[in-house]
Amino acid sequence: MNKPTNSGARRNPWTRREFLLRSGALGVAGASLPALLAACGGGGGGANALLFDNWPLYIDPTEDGLVGSVDRFMEASGVDMTYTESYNDNDEYFAKIQPLLGAGKRIDPDLIAPTFWMAGRLINLGWVDKLPLDKVANTSNLEDNYVKPPWDPTGEYSMPWQAGTAGIAYNIDVTGRELKSTADLFDPAFKGKIGMLTEMRDTMGLILMSQGVDITSISSFDQAAGAFEQLEKAKADGQIRAFTGNDYIDDLVSGNYAACVGWSGDVLQLGKDSPNIRFVVPEEGGTLWADVMVMPKGTENTDAVAKWLDFVYDPEQAAQITSYVQYFSPVKGVREEVAKIDPELAENPLVFPDAETASRLKSWANLSEDVDAQFADAFSSITGA
Amino acid sequence: MNSLRSRIGRMGLNVFAGLGLVYLFMPIFFIVLFSFNKPKGNYNIVWQEFTLDNWLDPFSQSSLTAALWVSLRISALATVISTIFGSLIALALSRRSFKGSSVINLLLVLPLTTPEIVLGSSLATLFLSQTFVDFGFITVVIAHVMFQVSFVALTVRARIRGFDWTLEQAAADLGAKPWRTFRYVTFPLILPGVLAAALLAFALSIDDFIITFFNAGSTVTFPLQIYGAARVRIPPQINVLASMVLFFSIALLVIGAVRGQRSEAVKAMKRSKNK
Amino acid sequence: MLARRADNLGLAALAVAAVCLVALGAGWFDGPLNALVLLVLLVVLGGVGVLAAFGGPEARRLLAPYGLMKPGLLWMALFFLAPVWSLVRISLSTKESRFSVQYNFTWAWDNYSRAFSDFGGQFQRAFLYSLIATLLTIVIGYPVAYVIAFRGGRFKNLLLGLVVIPFFTSYLIRTIAWSTILADQGPIVSLLNTFGLVNVFEWLHIMENGKLLNTPAAVIGGLTYNFLPFMLLPIYVSLEKIDPNLVNAANDLYSTPTAAFRKVVFPLSIPGVFAGTLLTFIPAAGDFVNAQFLGNPNTTMIGNSIQDQFLKQNNYPVASAMSTVLMVSITALVLLYTRFFGTEELA
Repeated sequence: MNKPTNSGARRNPWTRREFLLRSGALGVAGASLPALLAACGGGGGGANALLFDNWPLYIDPTEDGLVGSVDRFMEASGVDMTYTESYNDNDEYFAKIQPLLGAGKRIDPDLIAPTFWMAGRLINLGWVDKLPLDKVANTSNLEDNYVKPPWDPTGEYSMPWQAGTAGIAYNIDVTGRELKSTADLFDPAFKGKIGMLTEMRDTMGLILMSQGVDITSISSFDQAAGAFEQLEKAKADGQIRAFTGNDYIDDLVSGNYAACVGWSGDVLQLGKDSPNIRFVVPEEGGTLWADVMVMPKGTENTDAVAKWLDFVYDPEQAAQITSYVQYFSPVKGVREEVAKIDPELAENPLVFPDAETASRLKSWANLSEDVDAQFADAFSSITGA
Repeated sequence: MNSLRSRIGRMGLNVFAGLGLVYLFMPIFFIVLFSFNKPKGNYNIVWQEFTLDNWLDPFSQSSLTAALWVSLRISALATVISTIFGSLIALALSRRSFKGSSVINLLLVLPLTTPEIVLGSSLATLFLSQTFVDFGFITVVIAHVMFQVSFVALTVRARIRGFDWTLEQAAADLGAKPWRTFRYVTFPLILPGVLAAALLAFALSIDDFIITFFNAGSTVTFPLQIYGAARVRIPPQINVLASMVLFFSIALLVIGAVRGQRSEAVKAMKRSKNK
Repeated sequence: MLARRADNLGLAALAVAAVCLVALGAGWFDGPLNALVLLVLLVVLGGVGVLAAFGGPEARRLLAPYGLMKPGLLWMALFFLAPVWSLVRISLSTKESRFSVQYNFTWAWDNYSRAFSDFGGQFQRAFLYSLIATLLTIVIGYPVAYVIAFRGGRFKNLLLGLVVIPFFTSYLIRTIAWSTILADQGPIVSLLNTFGLVNVFEWLHIMENGKLLNTPAAVIGGLTYNFLPFMLLPIYVSLEKIDPNLVNAANDLYSTPTAAFRKVVFPLSIPGVFAGTLLTFIPAAGDFVNAQFLGNPNTTMIGNSIQDQFLKQNNYPVASAMSTVLMVSITALVLLYTRFFGTEELA
């Protein structure tokens, strides 16, 4: 994936040490050497710069003659944007930023996109700033179900980037049959060929729903004890091949997995080239999640953040992102715009859920601090690490 | 009969060693092979079709190239510092035994007998508990120097163990100032050992993953970039860059071997003349 | 007088400076006391400098080794000894709250009991897998080293280079390449299927459910592969040193090659095997890369747990306790091993 390379100076003046440290960070950004030198020389982008650290493969890229959203945004707004993809895992990212934000220091990105529950944690800890929503006219395009959500009750700290569902992804060449239910993941026929996500809420969410537990109202660990037992037993029996993050797709495509817990957009992105890779929202229900944009505490480039939010909440622009990543868009009017680009996609219930699909999607209740800790401990002791 | 058995034994051993070499090169073969793959979508894991595209554009992955550049700078800086520090220790240790040398020997060996994960995590706890440096370029350099110093000191010491220190004495007796003695006597003698140690230190540093992983913060070195990529997609350019390093080292080896053979040949000629 | 005692002073200054740095790095004291420690450090270093400058040639000669070692050893004091100290301290501390970065030292031994109770399996696997891997590196590495050393002839250096070259590619790339090779539809499993050998391999417990990747065997195989040069090279070095005439003489006397090997070559190569064992076993026991890419949730090693507790769960006290246990047990093993087999010093 190509990234914008004209990331000039962001804040000026820099001390030498800051430069050394930051040049490392820019390495993530894929900044070219000339850009680094330019940064060294100064020449203020000032508050007109923006660094967005997002999950990988989560935006329409600039390649093969396509112009990506980041390029169109820089063109339209004049903001000097750096888009990085080092957000790989909620817990891991949290562990990385905790020593800095916990000590009252800034982190480099102006914007990150943690999953809703992690955003809720950051908001509770006071480690994020309020978004400059008064400067974002397009906030009116936010889908109604994301207005003042449980993780951000006042709606001042977060704006969803994309939403989606975790369900069952499978390789029909290996399974030899269509899968419909979470129970299929525990089918002994697939022993050692099942993958689970390290994202606790997605893996446990599916198992809980298959046991009939309502995750929208769950509030104590006891309610989930049965599901954890089922997972523990499956692990001990060798049913589960691995717990992974984004890399589950490798194993699915190469046939190491028969089936796994996966995310809708990932499978859809594989597209027509891989008709053997399927995605299904299980009969018992799939989880509904959102990754939301928040500003880590101390961000100075609020104007640029406002411009970016305004840009991606324009349905026409959001449609470009959606037609590439194929997750649920939190922006009103995207479906009509997508229909202009790709009519078939606009009718796909895994991108724009119909009533029947939507009825099977559930999102997690906000867990209290202590309960969240219990869930996390129990899950990490099963993943075996 | 006996000789037949021993001949079979010899053959068997040679075959085993040959198989050992095949085993060593198995993953290498795949790394090179997949550098010519034209991956379908994001994942370079299933062989699709032959292409030269990746080789024609090895630096198209800007984040990968940037990470390689970060790694080179870190390793170069760390190697210079550790080579100086380590060689000085080796010089001190090799002269004569002095008070405390056994404790110092122990201190040098300890980082080698400590698993990397302990070195990395313990250093991380040190950096966490202070406010002077944030995790990043500097902390990685510090970490690398820390484990390199021992390697350099022990390698240089092993290389200069047989060094005839009376030469230094002679130079001094002839009226050479200590600096001149060092510059014209000591330094040329220890130089090969120092260079070998620096190479080793550089190799250890540029491929270090575990210790770096704990102390890098948001700095991304080449191994860290690969680790990150492995969780999303591994672009064939990674294989290309790895193959390049590989071919480069093979070329060096072949050149070295040819030159070695030539000097062997020269020696053999001289021997035959003497006869 | 002072000048003749210069070596004592040099050693003392080095020791005091190192202790000061450990104190500063590991945070033995708070606030103003740190300034005092820093002052002591500077006075000691300055004092030795003055002695070297004005104490005459004899003092300089005696001080020289300490002066040469100072930068490297003080670096190690600050960035190796002090971290180990703070690691042990954090392993006995408790967090103020779940997401706090503050630790209170409370002699919290329960971190250790948690490390053993929750991660006992990972400790066992780490030692078991790395032990098997070490033995395998001897089995594979020794014959290869032997052939190169005794039958390499003029290709000796070339062959040795070939052995080393695979390790010029990145550790991670090599390991990931193995995951491609061992995959369910990869070349090896396909080959085994073609020849109907899968059942044999399953009977040997090398394969599980028809798969090779994500099994204990794959993890051990990865460890063996990645640490093989650390075994092969020291063995080669010790074999190379053996005078071929010695072997010839033995051959003449004992007549069978096996006996010559057993009584002459092998004893002389023991130091190489010894060094190789340490160089292989120690890093293998702390590794988490192989178990992560080639293993499954039931094959995680202690390195995976340490990494997870440190870098994902933010549980530094328990992670530090595990690191401490790993470090102490390996040191104990090394000491024991050295006592029984040790002939040469490590390097």
